[in-house]
Amino acid sequence: MNLSVSIQVENVIKKFGETMVIDGLSMDIHPGELFTLLGPSGCGKTTLLRMVIGFNSIDGGSIKVNDKVINNIPVSKRKMGMVFQNYAIFPHMTVKQNIAFGLENKKYSKGEMERRIDEILNIVQIEDFKDRMPDQLSGGQQQRVALARAIVIHPEVLLMDEPLSNLDAKLRIEMRNAIKSIQQQVGITTIYVTHDQEEALAISDRIAVMNAGVIQQIGSPKEIYQRPVNIFVSKFIGTSNILKAKLVEVNNEVQMELNDGYREKVENLSKRAKVGDTVLVSVRPHEFIITEEKDGIKGKVLNSMFLGINTHYFIDLGLDEQVEVIQNADIVDLITPGETVHLKVKPDKINIFDIEEEKTLIEVSEAHEVH
Amino acid sequence: MKFTKNGKFTIWNVTTLIILVIFLLFIAFPLFLVLKKSMINPTTGGITFEYLGKFFERKYYWITILNSFKVTVVTTFLSVVLGLPLAYMMRKIKIKGSKLIEVLVIISYISPPFIGAYAWIQVLGHSGVVTKFLNNTFGTNFEGIYGFSGIVLVLTLQSFPLIYIYIAGALKNLDNSLNEAAESLGYSSFQRIYKIIIPLIIPTMLASALLVFMRVIADFGTPMLIGEGYRTIPVLIYTQFMSEVGGNEGFAAALCVVFIVVTLVLFLFQRIVANHFSYSMSALKPMKVEKSTGIKNILAHGFVYIIVFLAILPQLVVTFTSFLETKGGQVYTGNFSLENYRNIFLAKDTAVIWNTYKMGLMAIVIIVVLGVLISYLTVRKKNIITSILDTVSMFPFIIPGSVLGISFIFAFSDKPIVLSGTVFIMIMSFAIRRMPYTIRSSTAIISQISPSIEEAAISLGASETKAFRRVLVPMMMPGVMAGAIMSWITVISELSSSIILYTSNTQTLTVSIYTEVIRGNYGNASAYSAILTVTSILSLMLFFKLTGKREVSV
Repeated sequence: MNLSVSIQVENVIKKFGETMVIDGLSMDIHPGELFTLLGPSGCGKTTLLRMVIGFNSIDGGSIKVNDKVINNIPVSKRKMGMVFQNYAIFPHMTVKQNIAFGLENKKYSKGEMERRIDEILNIVQIEDFKDRMPDQLSGGQQQRVALARAIVIHPEVLLMDEPLSNLDAKLRIEMRNAIKSIQQQVGITTIYVTHDQEEALAISDRIAVMNAGVIQQIGSPKEIYQRPVNIFVSKFIGTSNILKAKLVEVNNEVQMELNDGYREKVENLSKRAKVGDTVLVSVRPHEFIITEEKDGIKGKVLNSMFLGINTHYFIDLGLDEQVEVIQNADIVDLITPGETVHLKVKPDKINIFDIEEEKTLIEVSEAHEVH
Repeated sequence: MKFTKNGKFTIWNVTTLIILVIFLLFIAFPLFLVLKKSMINPTTGGITFEYLGKFFERKYYWITILNSFKVTVVTTFLSVVLGLPLAYMMRKIKIKGSKLIEVLVIISYISPPFIGAYAWIQVLGHSGVVTKFLNNTFGTNFEGIYGFSGIVLVLTLQSFPLIYIYIAGALKNLDNSLNEAAESLGYSSFQRIYKIIIPLIIPTMLASALLVFMRVIADFGTPMLIGEGYRTIPVLIYTQFMSEVGGNEGFAAALCVVFIVVTLVLFLFQRIVANHFSYSMSALKPMKVEKSTGIKNILAHGFVYIIVFLAILPQLVVTFTSFLETKGGQVYTGNFSLENYRNIFLAKDTAVIWNTYKMGLMAIVIIVVLGVLISYLTVRKKNIITSILDTVSMFPFIIPGSVLGISFIFAFSDKPIVLSGTVFIMIMSFAIRRMPYTIRSSTAIISQISPSIEEAAISLGASETKAFRRVLVPMMMPGVMAGAIMSWITVISELSSSIILYTSNTQTLTVSIYTEVIRGNYGNASAYSAILTVTSILSLMLFFKLTGKREVSV
């Protein structure tokens, strides 16, 4: 039984005064999924979220819930729960009163209300604090109250606006696991806004990466990490080293030629890629291999950072090009700064972009697609 | 020196002692005398309840408590009724000219209430402009607004700005996401006002209402001028004391004791209430001012404009009438002239103006020095003596001006310390009256400064006193100076203790306004009022310039 709703955002427009913040944005959110809007600050992700709940007006296009337009439904009638960045716990009410607040103006029997409150207190694990005032709660506990208050009303949609940004690093990880499991347990369609790519990867079913009011890519965490559609996504999600390369034809196969004449065969190139083009190659730090073979890219180790599980090297390739390389610590001995090394890439992992539009030149085959 | 841990005689201990002596002399000793005179029979030297009994026996006397309460409760209630919606509208709805309105509200707040009384007499008194107009047009026999309703009108219009200032400040700290959270939980905008906004500003509302209560109950000038026989406690104290000096000091003292008990109870009540409800709020996103449309917009503009116009009307009236020609000082001829200014500048001694400035400035110097030192001692050098200092320094908060004036007369008219009639006694009365406010604001400033700043200076080789002088004091200065200007504005508007302590040599502007009004010299009174108003406004502008904000903290 799945009562979750889907959300359709169709060509929405948002202007603040004369400034166009969002110009014709569309996306579909599937029933029951945790959908994340990810992007740098000022990219319009919070604006979009506030359009969905109704705090921001929709200046063009439409937002639909289960194919019903909600543009003109007031916030208080949209049946959406929201968790705010600063939690917005009512300081004059106890934990229980905060949670009961949304139920009070609906006609529930006292018993039903109690049952619902107890159920949610149990789910978010704050039974012990239900009679406390908010100023007696820690940040994580306040966060749980905010979440409980938003979902106890059984909203059709749950919206979360950077809910973890006020917590310290350790609590952030604990709370994101909690949010993920509570969301799965409740099965409610959720839109989650964050600027933290790691948080987005960890928590989301699907992610929309936004920049300057435009969606760059929508996909599963694995898709957007492994096959970014453009340089922006490639650099925003995780770390990417961007190198220049040239496409050449050798022995009837297309190869890319990187620094120092190092060549590697590339498959699954799209038809847009032409032999002779200069392209941008994005290589994640762990997609480099430090090799003994002399035909790789030559570089000088500037610095190394031993992190236990692996070692990061900062390697100068000459011509002001620097790359970050990660090697599993158990593979080789530490390389000392100043040493010359040779680098190769893992050709099936790297991504290639055209130099003008910085868009991907990789054709994602069925085999690569992740569901 | 028992109170020093290591028994050393530091400069701070000496300072503490000196301040303690000053406080004992100018706060504790006079108050003790009031209490003593109210209960000791001067001839027999035994304890007597004759004076207190006299007050409670005759309705003529005890009715003044009832009157004071009636005036105060109604005024406080009406001030909230005006101030609360004004603050909400100004924070929520885009009002044209809102910046000017905020300044006008503050101006009406900083001007002394008795100027309001005097101005309203000219508008709605027996021969007020509006009274005459109404009676001539409708053939009615309207007597003008005096007594209870007159006092309430004047004090309400003078007090709601304080409620406004406080509540507007609280609304600024109210995070809009609380509002949005309630909205997303299905509450309408009206429901949100009474479920979220009102409960959250109740502590502020109570705190500001109490301040209004204290100001109104202690106000002497307004009921004196516009009361016309409607006597409140301060009026009774003044008339009893002035007519019976030497004759029955005991009864005046007993009245003072009754009055202090009333204000003390109020003060304690507020403390309890304030401790019971207080929420820490900080706004990530304050409420947004939004353009409104239609009837709502028109009503909001109408409400704001009318209220603010009424509040600022006294200043307009006195400034306007100060330029009118009078016949014998009393009846306006309808022509403009500078006659009134000629009278007060040339025909009369200008000493009252210079007295006001001179004594005001000297009082401010004392206030600033004592305020900074006391706040430093109570925050950074906590011990039993400094805690006593802190407590004693709050006493003047509950001592009404007229009581302070009388207590000073008791204390400093006879040997060993004869100060009455001097400039010094006036200055000390100003300084002591304003002390609690200054200390509170200086303490807040010091508490914001981390002790590690001074520790850094000391680690770099500075002595403790040098760290205080070179690091802490300069850091405190902007805030302290801003506070000093607000103190200056209140000091130059002070009437209720000056009216008891002044002599012809120490007469101030406010006393002159009061006496000119009593004598019926409206022209001169207006000119004096205009000078006071302009001084206050200029000081306020300086305050805005210094703080860079269009806000006052009270």
